[in-house]
Amino acid sequence: MGIQNDIVKFNVGGRIFQTTATTLANADRDSFFGALFDDNWDLKQPINGREFFIDRNPDCFAVLLDLLRTGDLYIPSNVPERLLYKEAMFYGLIGHVRSAKRGPFDGNRLKLSKPVTGRAPGDGTAIRAGPDGGCCVAYGSMVHVFDWMLEEHPPLNLDYQRVNDIGWVNAESVLISACERLGRGDSGMGLFSSYTGDLRYKFNVVHDNQIKSYTAGALCFSPDYKIFASCKGRSNEYGIGVWDQVTGKQIDFFYETPGWSLGEADKLQWLNGTTCLLVATLFPRKDNCYISLLDFRQKSTVWSWSDFGAPLTVDEKRARDAIAMEDCNSVCVVNEYEDLGFIDLRISGRSVRWSSRSRLMKGKMPDEPCYPKLALHNGQLFSSMNDSISVFCGPDWVLTSRLRRSYGGSICDFSIGGDRLFALHSEANVFDIWETPPTPVI
Amino acid sequence: MSNQKKRIFQIEAFQNRVVVDPKYAEKTWKILEHAIHEIYNHNASGLSFEELYRNAYNMVLHKFGEKLYSGLVTTMTAHLKEISKSIEAAQGNLFLEELNRKWNDHNKALQMIRDILMYMDRTYIPDTHKTPVHELGLNLWRDNIIHSGKIQSRLLSTLLELVHRERTGEVIDRGLMRNIVKMLMDLGSSIYQEDFEKPFLEVSAEFYRGESQKFIECYDCGDSLKKAEIRLNEEIERVTHYLDAKSEGKITNVVEKEMIANHMMRLVHMENSGLVNMLLNDKHGDLGRMYNLFRRVPNGLAMIRDVMTSHLRETGKQLVTDAESLKDPVEYVQRLLDEKEKYDGIISLAFSNDKTFQNALNSSFEYFINLNSRSPEFISLFVDDKLRKGLKGVSEGDVEIILDKVMMIFRYLQEKDVFEKYYKQHLAKRLLSLIVKLKTACGYQYTSKLEGMFTDMKTSQDTMQGFCSSHPELTDGPTLVVQVLTTGSWPTQPSITCHLPFEMSALCEKFRSYYLGTHTDIKAIFGKGQKHELNVSTYQMCVLMLFNNADRLCYKEIEQGTAIPASDLKRCLQSMACVKGKNVLRKEPMSKDIGEDDSFFVNEKFASKFYKVKVGTVVAQKESEPEKQETRQRVEEDRKPQIEAAIVRIMKSRKVLDHNNIIAEVTKQLQSRFLANPTEIKKRIESLIEREFLERDNSDRKMYRYLA
Repeated sequence: MGIQNDIVKFNVGGRIFQTTATTLANADRDSFFGALFDDNWDLKQPINGREFFIDRNPDCFAVLLDLLRTGDLYIPSNVPERLLYKEAMFYGLIGHVRSAKRGPFDGNRLKLSKPVTGRAPGDGTAIRAGPDGGCCVAYGSMVHVFDWMLEEHPPLNLDYQRVNDIGWVNAESVLISACERLGRGDSGMGLFSSYTGDLRYKFNVVHDNQIKSYTAGALCFSPDYKIFASCKGRSNEYGIGVWDQVTGKQIDFFYETPGWSLGEADKLQWLNGTTCLLVATLFPRKDNCYISLLDFRQKSTVWSWSDFGAPLTVDEKRARDAIAMEDCNSVCVVNEYEDLGFIDLRISGRSVRWSSRSRLMKGKMPDEPCYPKLALHNGQLFSSMNDSISVFCGPDWVLTSRLRRSYGGSICDFSIGGDRLFALHSEANVFDIWETPPTPVI
Repeated sequence: MSNQKKRIFQIEAFQNRVVVDPKYAEKTWKILEHAIHEIYNHNASGLSFEELYRNAYNMVLHKFGEKLYSGLVTTMTAHLKEISKSIEAAQGNLFLEELNRKWNDHNKALQMIRDILMYMDRTYIPDTHKTPVHELGLNLWRDNIIHSGKIQSRLLSTLLELVHRERTGEVIDRGLMRNIVKMLMDLGSSIYQEDFEKPFLEVSAEFYRGESQKFIECYDCGDSLKKAEIRLNEEIERVTHYLDAKSEGKITNVVEKEMIANHMMRLVHMENSGLVNMLLNDKHGDLGRMYNLFRRVPNGLAMIRDVMTSHLRETGKQLVTDAESLKDPVEYVQRLLDEKEKYDGIISLAFSNDKTFQNALNSSFEYFINLNSRSPEFISLFVDDKLRKGLKGVSEGDVEIILDKVMMIFRYLQEKDVFEKYYKQHLAKRLLSLIVKLKTACGYQYTSKLEGMFTDMKTSQDTMQGFCSSHPELTDGPTLVVQVLTTGSWPTQPSITCHLPFEMSALCEKFRSYYLGTHTDIKAIFGKGQKHELNVSTYQMCVLMLFNNADRLCYKEIEQGTAIPASDLKRCLQSMACVKGKNVLRKEPMSKDIGEDDSFFVNEKFASKFYKVKVGTVVAQKESEPEKQETRQRVEEDRKPQIEAAIVRIMKSRKVLDHNNIIAEVTKQLQSRFLANPTEIKKRIESLIEREFLERDNSDRKMYRYLA
């Protein structure tokens, strides 16, 4: 055995570190260390026994060097997390830190990462997870944007109108739907930069070549770069508007038919792999529930379901949220007792098949009820109810986990994305972040 | 006072922001700008990467990203303008070399700059939707170098000139070419296509248009095709050496179009060297080349095929209507066969067994063979001739090959029934004449058995008719068909008697009284519930008849009941109990072989879609060794008297002869029938001496004497 010749000596902020080119090769090509070495991971400029000086924090460097050595992230208490992220950004190792911090999302392994308290009055409307682990939260007329490090970006507002829904078009843009501003045609929806908070576009609704003011409700995006929104106009222009994400221009409008609600829909969902949009208007926004599947190619309703005219039973069950399942064969609904029900999408006129296995809390209502919400992620079904979120798995949707935190009041909205679950609480101005811990290292 | 009065109290606004050094951004940028200069001037070794990286990081962190980015664009542009001048100044051949060198320098510099500005590249640029550093460097190179007025046209003409020189046989620096073309490709596929590929294809088209015109005027078809093939391969090779692989299809298209597609008609119909000429002279090489080249252009193969078809039909028509060839049917068919063989050869050797060509060949033959209504007759005559000749000197394999070929021609015939009619006549004649010939060649005795076989068949038929008419009461029972065969004429095994069932033996007795004979092929009516007519052998019939009186029988019982020899019985049972579809019996245990302990019963579930079911006998695997020996022995036995007769004939005329001469004479006399074995002849001489037909000479033991 000879003398190892790939040893590299660093002087970081006055502290000496010694490591090997092999260890540093675990960093990306696209990193500070990648730039130091050539394609064979030999130093581009030999330093002949001298150390390589870096004017950075040595404590953070130690943590990051260990990350490269072991693949494990351990942050000692004397190192602020924020500072470590900054340093990781400098070296171009932020991707390493992120993947070391959390594992792939699994509803049954979630751990509460941290609660985040905002400064807005406790009037949360919606929370949406961003594609890269950040989120945006709507409080009244303001939308607060956080990146994955939970650094807050400049807040967004659309003429300070009340926000109804928000959504991430991509990692850089957030869409806001808001209440109409009387007498102004340019209200409704706006697309903002998530970094700078700048307004990029406003989205107009045009009827008979006239721009109309409208209130935009639920939002949804399709993979072919379209934006869908439920719209309530001033003069009965109710329905679903369609816009192009790239140009911001309106490209279609689906008017609702009398006796059927589209313009006040609570939820829009694009069915991937089909050409259909699910539109659900639910109690208590309307007295009855209306769920329909729209095909925009022929402007037709290809499937619909409503509880209008159905006899009221003793234990009144009304759908409070609806979601199309991932196989697009059925719609899942949830009532105020967190009973899950399923409606077959392949045949029209089917009734709800309530699932008894997931019934949980018959008649046990808290003082201030919160309407349940549903979400799907990788074959797991999530349902929020009061102050907890239930996770259902398997073909029969068996309850497998429950996420609950003791304070903050009921969960008024939650969202999954970027390997995280965000839950917005209605009382205290706080949202929780749930993450899957990284896979344990043997 | 007035001054004091005028004084306005200003309250300084509270500074809540930290004011950084106003010159901070400028200073930091200067450091980075200097570094970029040094990198372009090949002085990078003195620079500290860490310092530069940190400075660039700090600029972005302190919101001077825009300044950093625009500064980079300005500085790099300035350098590229300098570089552009030095490339323009390069003289003659040095132009491409200078361009290549500067391109390499720029790439290295770009890599270093990108490393230093990595933080900007990763954070500021995506956030602001700007062009990443590497791509920016390529774009600036494109705009300031490749698209600068003085370089763009010079670069293109230089590249095209080099290609032209290589096409005219000069050696060029392919490595340099490859580097420059690679540069264009790195700048984006649209740059490569617009700035090089498109003009390259245009110039190539013009070049090959001129060249093919020259070829077609100076060379014959075969040579023109050779030249085209060479050019095509050259272009493919050029692509692999220094062009984008995607260009291959495009440039070969140009060559194909200019050198083949545009001159197809002329090439194919070229006098004294065109396609017809190649076909006539079996120029497989040229034909193969034409096939492979024409295959590349639309309708190319269709053209070859059409010309071949019309030529083939024309020559074929001449052949079948030529009065001369009609005189000799054998020659006529032989010429058809030759023609077929010739074209089969061309298609397999030159046209890579193309199905469409084979179809064209078949349809052509079908067309002209049927133009002559005597074709069926001639083909039959030809076969007849071959089969007759086949007896003399031609081996069985050769006859087989000829017959296969004839079969191919036979398939083209539309009037196959006519052929059949003729063939029947010819066959009959041949059979009869064969027997006549055998008789003349080998004597009456030789053919008597053959004739006997014919006679037996005829007599049996007559006998059966007579038998049936004399026993009209027999129509209800089992029908009996008897072949009365002369023992010795037919190659049958000696028949072994067995116990015939009562019904049959009664019937046989009746027949025996009508005619004495034994060996039979008998039909038995059989079946329970469903009726089938089973066509079975005598042994099988005997076994089946046993089951009329019993549902289940074991092997031993059957053996006793029928007295059929064990090996035959096993075969017979096997054929009835183990063959799928013919299993009128079932056996226990189920297995493929018959055991001594097996028991058999009628297969109630036997079903067949046919009313008549022929139950064959499982064939014995091979003629056994003793059987072979027996056959052989019988032949030898037959030969003995013939050899003895020959010896006596010879000695009778010669009186005295030595051993070797006798052997030679006997062999010669018998060779028309068989080749006599010398040891056998010697044995026969010995036997004749013993029986006192001959004696040995007392003085010379090798001499034989004839005793009258």
